[in-house]
Amino acid sequence: MKRHIFLARCAAALPLLFFLSTPINAHEAWLLSPAEIEALSQAPVPELFRSPVWLGLAATVGFALTLAALGLEPVLGRLEDRAIQPIWKRYGDVGPLVLRLGLAAMTLLAAFGGLPRHGTEAWTVSTFLVPDMQLTDVSGASILIGAQAMLAVFLIAGLATRACGVILIALSLAGPVIFGPSFWSYTPHFAAPGLILVALGAGRLSCDHVLNTDIGAYTAAPLRQILWRMSHILIGAGFVYLGFAYKLMQPTLLIAILERGDMPTFGIQMPVIALIMTGVEILCGALLIMGRLVRPVALAILGAITFLAITLGETPLFHANLYGALLVVLLAGRTVPIAHRVPGIQWARAV
Amino acid sequence: MLRVFLNRLGLAPCVIALMLGTLVIAAPIVNAKGGPPRTVFLVLPDIIAPPTVQVRADALGGGRYRLYLDTRNFAFTDICVLEAEAAPIGHAHIHVDGAKVASAFFPVIDIGPLDPGAHHIDVVLRGQDHRALIAQGAMVQGHTRLVVPDRPI
Repeated sequence: MKRHIFLARCAAALPLLFFLSTPINAHEAWLLSPAEIEALSQAPVPELFRSPVWLGLAATVGFALTLAALGLEPVLGRLEDRAIQPIWKRYGDVGPLVLRLGLAAMTLLAAFGGLPRHGTEAWTVSTFLVPDMQLTDVSGASILIGAQAMLAVFLIAGLATRACGVILIALSLAGPVIFGPSFWSYTPHFAAPGLILVALGAGRLSCDHVLNTDIGAYTAAPLRQILWRMSHILIGAGFVYLGFAYKLMQPTLLIAILERGDMPTFGIQMPVIALIMTGVEILCGALLIMGRLVRPVALAILGAITFLAITLGETPLFHANLYGALLVVLLAGRTVPIAHRVPGIQWARAV
Repeated sequence: MLRVFLNRLGLAPCVIALMLGTLVIAAPIVNAKGGPPRTVFLVLPDIIAPPTVQVRADALGGGRYRLYLDTRNFAFTDICVLEAEAAPIGHAHIHVDGAKVASAFFPVIDIGPLDPGAHHIDVVLRGQDHRALIAQGAMVQGHTRLVVPDRPI
């Protein structure tokens, strides 16, 4: 099979991930049973996460591996360019399509309660972007439900896509105002896909392209690059924060959830696995913020969240925003081509 | 050659080293306090009288049961918030055989129909943000056991 056909099929098959996992579960605290919660309440923080010596050693190993990877960046870059060459001209079509459909699925299901918090019956309680944020007793809930549903319709159609990106950014910023500071852990990973949509538009498979209504198609290249970099920074910052606040500082919760999912340990102790996961998340986030090793990092995170989704039996729909955003990042890399709809594309290397 | 390598790395190593160093210092300080993860648990101050809950079940027929939650030092409310204060106010999560089946915002709630056989009912008191309450180092919970007859009464 020719490589470009294989790669194109891989990209086309990515949405199938959404249907691979049967139960609607998330790796969230709410799925733990009373017995597991009681055990968790008494679980001591592993020595690995309390000892400056062990953490220092782990940080040194992580630092050394990151340095090695950074040293190989030019070699990896050439490999990436070669591997992605057959399909990169279509990144502006395939990437935004997957991102749009993923975001549309999330917002539509959230609007009608199809992605409920664990323990809540499906289609009974509307949520705001993510299962944890229930729209019960929220003033203006009907407006938010309507906004999410309309956003989904426009995203599916690929109509006014750049405006949809702006609305998604606005919704992600409204979250902390409506639900409090806890929403800040979600904001970067919804604002970033919004920025990507603003920067790239809907792509060829959209009403915007057919009707020629993409008013931002010829946005100044520097502005597009700025939006693109900002999206990377937001995705990375989100991972650094989540790794720090939820994994490094609450390791027993991560371990309980991994144990519940019967994740294969390959003989490695669970605290070590939890620390590796934490380190990978934080380092990948930091590299994205700095715009280094962008494609390998995107691939690593995509692989990690896919592995977790399958082993923990959760629906990838909970992370459709990240799947879409990281796929576009994987395809396009650190910089986006100038005016991707114009023939004779030139890469704008910002390095 | 070393200079080429260092130029290739740029400022990234300094930034990553600074970040990792900060985490290595901060994490042991925070984790040294121990305690349950704050995402799941709401720890009540020791000066507050610890809430308790006892569970009683009455058969309603057809495999359905009415649970009476006898609580002390706890107030039920149907108002949920995202970040609750450490106070004995909230609701209860009802679990049957380890699976959550309902949230009780009042001290009386009906559950079922349950399948014939023995069932273990767990009631866990939760704060207004759904976090499990911990009072004086222990979760606030009650249990009861039901045996549903083959021919439900």
